Amino acid sequence: MSEIADIQPDLAFKRELSQLSGSQLNQCMQCGNCSAVCSLAPADRPFPRKEMIWSGWGLKNRLIGNVDVWLCHQCGDCSSFCPRDVKPADVISGVRQLSYRHYARPRFLGKLLSEVMWLPLAIAIPVAVIIAILSLAGTFRIPEGPVDYSAFFPHGLLNGTFSAITLFFYLLASLGIGRFWRDMKRQTPPGEAGMRRLPVFRILGEILSHSNFSNCGSRKAGRFSHMLLFFGFALLIVVTLYAIWATVTHNYPLPLSNPFKILGNLASLMIYCGLGIMIWQRLFNKSVFGKSGYSDWLLLVAIGLLTLSGTLVQLARFGDWSLAYHLYFFHLVAVWFVIMYLPFTKLGHIFYRTTAMLYARSIGRK
Amino acid sequence: MEDGKKNMALAVCSGCSIGASLDVGKLLDSAVEANQGLVCMEHRALCSEAGLTGLNTLLKEKGVDRLALAACSPRVKSKEFQLDGIHVERINLREQVAWVMEPEHEDTQLCAEDQTRMVLAKLEAIRENIPYIPESISSEILVVGGGIAGLTSALEGARAGYRVHLVEQSGHLGGYGGRIYKLLPDCESDATLKEPDIHLLVKELEKLPGVEIYLDTRVQSISGEPGNFQISLDKNGSSELHVGAIVTATGWKPYNTEKLEPMGYGSERVKTLEEFELFVQEEPIPDRILFVLCAGSRDEKHLAYCSSYCCSAALKQALYVRELNPRAEVYIIYRDIRTTGFQEEFYKMVQADDAIFMTKGIIDTVTDRGDGMELVISQSLLDEHVILKSDMVVLATGMVPNTTTDLQLQYRLGKGLPEIEYDFSDSHFICFPYETRRTGIYAAGTVRAPMDMEMSREDGAGAMMKAIQAIECVKRGEAVHPRAGDLTWPELYMERCTDCKRCTEECPFGSYDETEKGTPLPNPARCRRCGICVGSCPERVIGFADFNINSVSAMIKAVSMPDEFEEKPRILVFVCENDAYPALDAAGIHHLSYSPYVRIIPVRCLGSINKVWISDALSHGYDGILQIGCKPGDDYQCHFIHGSELTEQRGENLQETLETMMLEPERIQTKFVEITEHHEIQEMINDYVEEMELIGPNPFKSL
Repeated sequence: MSEIADIQPDLAFKRELSQLSGSQLNQCMQCGNCSAVCSLAPADRPFPRKEMIWSGWGLKNRLIGNVDVWLCHQCGDCSSFCPRDVKPADVISGVRQLSYRHYARPRFLGKLLSEVMWLPLAIAIPVAVIIAILSLAGTFRIPEGPVDYSAFFPHGLLNGTFSAITLFFYLLASLGIGRFWRDMKRQTPPGEAGMRRLPVFRILGEILSHSNFSNCGSRKAGRFSHMLLFFGFALLIVVTLYAIWATVTHNYPLPLSNPFKILGNLASLMIYCGLGIMIWQRLFNKSVFGKSGYSDWLLLVAIGLLTLSGTLVQLARFGDWSLAYHLYFFHLVAVWFVIMYLPFTKLGHIFYRTTAMLYARSIGRK
Repeated sequence: MEDGKKNMALAVCSGCSIGASLDVGKLLDSAVEANQGLVCMEHRALCSEAGLTGLNTLLKEKGVDRLALAACSPRVKSKEFQLDGIHVERINLREQVAWVMEPEHEDTQLCAEDQTRMVLAKLEAIRENIPYIPESISSEILVVGGGIAGLTSALEGARAGYRVHLVEQSGHLGGYGGRIYKLLPDCESDATLKEPDIHLLVKELEKLPGVEIYLDTRVQSISGEPGNFQISLDKNGSSELHVGAIVTATGWKPYNTEKLEPMGYGSERVKTLEEFELFVQEEPIPDRILFVLCAGSRDEKHLAYCSSYCCSAALKQALYVRELNPRAEVYIIYRDIRTTGFQEEFYKMVQADDAIFMTKGIIDTVTDRGDGMELVISQSLLDEHVILKSDMVVLATGMVPNTTTDLQLQYRLGKGLPEIEYDFSDSHFICFPYETRRTGIYAAGTVRAPMDMEMSREDGAGAMMKAIQAIECVKRGEAVHPRAGDLTWPELYMERCTDCKRCTEECPFGSYDETEKGTPLPNPARCRRCGICVGSCPERVIGFADFNINSVSAMIKAVSMPDEFEEKPRILVFVCENDAYPALDAAGIHHLSYSPYVRIIPVRCLGSINKVWISDALSHGYDGILQIGCKPGDDYQCHFIHGSELTEQRGENLQETLETMMLEPERIQTKFVEITEHHEIQEMINDYVEEMELIGPNPFKSL
């Protein structure tokens, strides 16, 4: 060990973490069972044993920016085997939640999406922005005649503004990710071998195959439900890109028989199934899942409402429902929640975990 | 039972496979052959109602006063075979013959016959016993030390109706416990810190009749024996007491702080547990406090042992620091948290406070930076090396027992109590707590072992019960412990004594003082009846009524010795009654067979074996002598502290004697077993017999 580190216990951080995870951190007796049973912990300085005592001491500067807490896929094996019921999986998940908040730029977005008291404001922002866009475009009214969403929100305007806002948010998020990268480098410096070229394809393989989930003992259904959601979303992205292209080539909306339309509905079905499993597990399998917090439910509910409203919007078009435009508006707000807010919610793991995995593998940590 | 008029009987039980293994008729014949006029009886279940009625009728009818009872081990059925007015000696035909040797075999039969004749010979040789009772017995009790242990002890004694004298060297009662801010919780019922209650104990004690309290007083001298101690105090010039027993509860002192300088001691910001206890009652508490557990403990350079109280005390202080200053953060650096007994529950409670941070770690350096302390900690769970800052450091130091030479014992073997490891005065702490090596003087509290206040209270009560037991036993002429109830005692035939002082030096309990001329001066009430003095005496002048030079010699010689051409070796096995004998019984219960060539003589302690018995055995023709006793050493299991050790030392001298007699030194061996080692004792015997068969017969056999 080259230099001696100063320990700065942060009681406020410890309390926040304890509250988020519902864990009595002092009860951890550092037996190391958690690290022993973890199928993902590297052999050298394995997690989450050390993260548990750092949590107990409120060592914020060792936990935020810690690469290992992102290598964890929260399978829950550690919690199942913890003899003191300290729930390491939930503690590590709590650290990740605090990380989203810590790296959020602008900072208030992190706060906005992590505390239930700010939820009304979090909803009000997209509502206001959409109304503003529609008012500027002069289409903020219920159109006459058969349901045609482009009469309410012209496709070009929709694609343009939403893409721009998304890009803007992600650009802001990349500032946080940059800081995250520097923190990881400071806390877990590369060994003597230095850094390798970023193993992008290897990480892609890991993500697509869900190989990190496969050794898990406690949450067997976790891999399957995550796959359903993951590939459901991937399909929806493909379908959406096709739809955008279609609006440009003027044969939109698509008939129900269009293969992409079928694919889109199939994707929704996958998301429903995946989501169903996840919600069921969180509600009825508490012994393994521990405490489900606001951020867990926010994400599940947002994805659920997004998919549900999407399905309803489609039905409303074919069924010519009178509430079609209200549903459409609701759907757009849900899109905002899942896509625009992504870096600041639990879904931000798409960025943070991928970044952490890239860093870990490039310094040979596995 | 007048001398010369012994009417002996032999009763043999043929139950529990004894009858199936042995020819009982033949056994009785051989006994009668050696003891003309012996009254005999056989029954298939002597311990049954029918058996006992038959036995009692026969004994009464024949006017028998000494009975040899050949049945099971004396360790069982002792109540059934306790017969009024009759001296009973048991012959262990079940556990040590029938269950371990081949049934209906000639050698088994011979063994049973020999063992029977040995006990009959003993019955013939033993003397009548007149118990020793001191002339003047006091039922008053002296308690030295007015801390928590002494107070509790005095209180319990007074409550039990004994007159108690409580001597305290300082001007007030309460000791260390009287100065502390809060007490550890009584975790059996709840886990909150308790208000100190020592003053209540003092108040109650002062109200009780029959309690005399001497403040600012020291003991000037203690002489005498249990039941009859003469005490002189330095109160009012000098005052004399006559007491029956003594409880010493002189407590502890904190570890020498000078040695703690490497841990920062000397700085204003560094306190010991004891100093901090007073500090919180006077000064405001800083915001960051760091506790170093095991400061100067469990370390060969300091105190090598664990004081068992410091972890709990530090946790207690951490908790009240948080109560007194809610902004305070507490860091605890431990090596292992050792919260003994129910304090484990308390530890869990402390964990619930999230402003108390704990990690394992070794303190490398402690530096006063002016604005606070800085500690470098290695091998912590947090990281290999870390730096922690705090406003104050509390060193959890261990307990050092106060010296017991303050008791000023006028004993030949010293003014204080003998100490076991680390200067604590106690006997074996598991088997015989409170029992110091001075009978009638009982140690309570931290003077005998490091402990917390809760345990000290228990200790005070426990030691007082022992003191009362000692007085009551002495009144009846009984041994107190460990041979509780034994009415025999060592009697000396002083005319033949050469003042060699071996008995005075070897007695582990300091029973013997000396006259001005240097003659041993026995104090029989101090005696634990181990018989080590019997073994030590080269002039063979010491003996108990039922265990003396003659009785054991008679047993040795009662064995019929086959000649060397029969190839039937005879091995004499001296077995310590405390651990080895029960182990041998357990071997029997497990039917672990061993050689039928052994002849067993139980002894009070290996240390009680006199050299003359060895030469008696060799000249009688035994091929080997095996002595089996309890384990010696630091973790000794000898009930009499160093009986086994003495035997080993004496054995070395014997070896030389054997060599001058041109006998193989291997013929005499000493072995040690634990009470649970029945497999080992079987192997021990069989290996030894095998070795003797290889060496060949004792050349003195046919002489």
